[in-house]
Amino acid sequence: MRTIPIIFLTGLAGLALAGLARVAHAYPQYQLSRDQACTSCHLSPAGGGLLAENGIAVAESTATYNGSGAFFYGAFEPPSWLQLGGDVIAAAGAVDSGKLGAAAFPMQAEAYASAGGHGFTLEVTGGLRRPLDGGSPLHVAWSREHYLMWRQNPTSPFGLYVRAGRFMPVFGLRLAEHVVYTQRYGGMPLYGEAYGTAVEYVASSFEVHATGFVHDPIASAVEHGDGGALYAEARIGPHAALGVEGKYSGSSEVHTTYGGVTGKLFLEGADLLFQAEAEVIHQKVMAGGSANQLAGYVMGTHTITDGWLLDVGVGHFTQDTSVAGLYRDCVDVGVHWFTTPHVELLLTARLELLDKGSGPNGGYALAQLHYRL
Amino acid sequence: MTAIAVSLCSVACGTTPDDRPATFEFVSLEVLAPACATVACHSSSTNARGFAFDTLPASRQALRSLVIVGNAQASQLIDVIKRNRMPPDEPMADQDVALLEAWINNGAPGL
Repeated sequence: MRTIPIIFLTGLAGLALAGLARVAHAYPQYQLSRDQACTSCHLSPAGGGLLAENGIAVAESTATYNGSGAFFYGAFEPPSWLQLGGDVIAAAGAVDSGKLGAAAFPMQAEAYASAGGHGFTLEVTGGLRRPLDGGSPLHVAWSREHYLMWRQNPTSPFGLYVRAGRFMPVFGLRLAEHVVYTQRYGGMPLYGEAYGTAVEYVASSFEVHATGFVHDPIASAVEHGDGGALYAEARIGPHAALGVEGKYSGSSEVHTTYGGVTGKLFLEGADLLFQAEAEVIHQKVMAGGSANQLAGYVMGTHTITDGWLLDVGVGHFTQDTSVAGLYRDCVDVGVHWFTTPHVELLLTARLELLDKGSGPNGGYALAQLHYRL
Repeated sequence: MTAIAVSLCSVACGTTPDDRPATFEFVSLEVLAPACATVACHSSSTNARGFAFDTLPASRQALRSLVIVGNAQASQLIDVIKRNRMPPDEPMADQDVALLEAWINNGAPGL
């Protein structure tokens, strides 16, 4: 029984790094430093996905090399009722899994479409996901998000939004890297989308997002529970914001309650943005037992020059407050180079320590290539 | 001030012995699911290498082929975690491995 199947070993590095996959959410690094709300640059009130006209302009103005930021460089112009886009991300690098190993893998290949008018649109994100071992090849094609959206002011980033369909409930900071503890363990894991209805209001000085959701009854989903999420953020002047967050998800197996706060501060002179999130999590296993958890993350972002961002993040996750030493900390470093309005190169590295380094430690260093259609 | 700091650390870091329940449901949902069942690995939507741990039925099916009831040392689950350091990107804490071993050695109740 101690004989490990060879295939198990050979897949080890790939499996590990597959967990590092991401989807191109918004870059909250630009909030407060360049604009006020996600909707200033994105069509979705959650951020991520298709860029609005201003988002394309920001991509063009901040990239190192100039060019058109439009879909396919403007070579194909869809009709006015249709907007198209997409993201492709691949990565290669090294992971410390007890010994250093190399790996290369795709992370995202998705297209976006927004169709409609007069405030009503159908938003669809479709693409590829990892195959199901032993399953149909068709499993790789899927739609991660599909929802109907009504927005009060189609020509303004501000106003009321109502969404119904499959999407990620807005909750806390929405950083692109899902391995951030407040994402992975804090109620916003990769592919954590669910079917729901959201009522969201975005203004220049505040925003509120309320979502009720149920788990996907058809596709195998990450979110297995039904519940609700709430996020409210008030901006204090042009360069600071405070937010509160709450989420509940319950299934027949486990009930999880999340509560937390966020903070953002932009120091204009130093071109330095700080974002922080702290969460308290309570999990109740229905068959018996419970756990109280803590998750926190602080990230500083410095715009080195146009097109170059430096991120340094520090994270903490206590898996169970009742057990001595059951926690982990990490330091993340990321260097983004937006070479053109369509291309981003990202060098990212993590060092992770369990119980202040007395447990097994982990880490990785990756280069990511991100192409936006 | 020191007392306050120590108290806060006690809450945040945990100071008591591990009295978590060594049950199938608890080790599945509180240890294996968060560590192993990320969407691209041992989740029901990927089922990497034929194992998923994100729900109790999936975990039960996986563990029945990875566990020798009453013998953690000979169980493939523990061997893979220890020798190959699964999950490799975010290693499992020693306390979690010990809880899994205790559950198996206690007869793997619920499996």
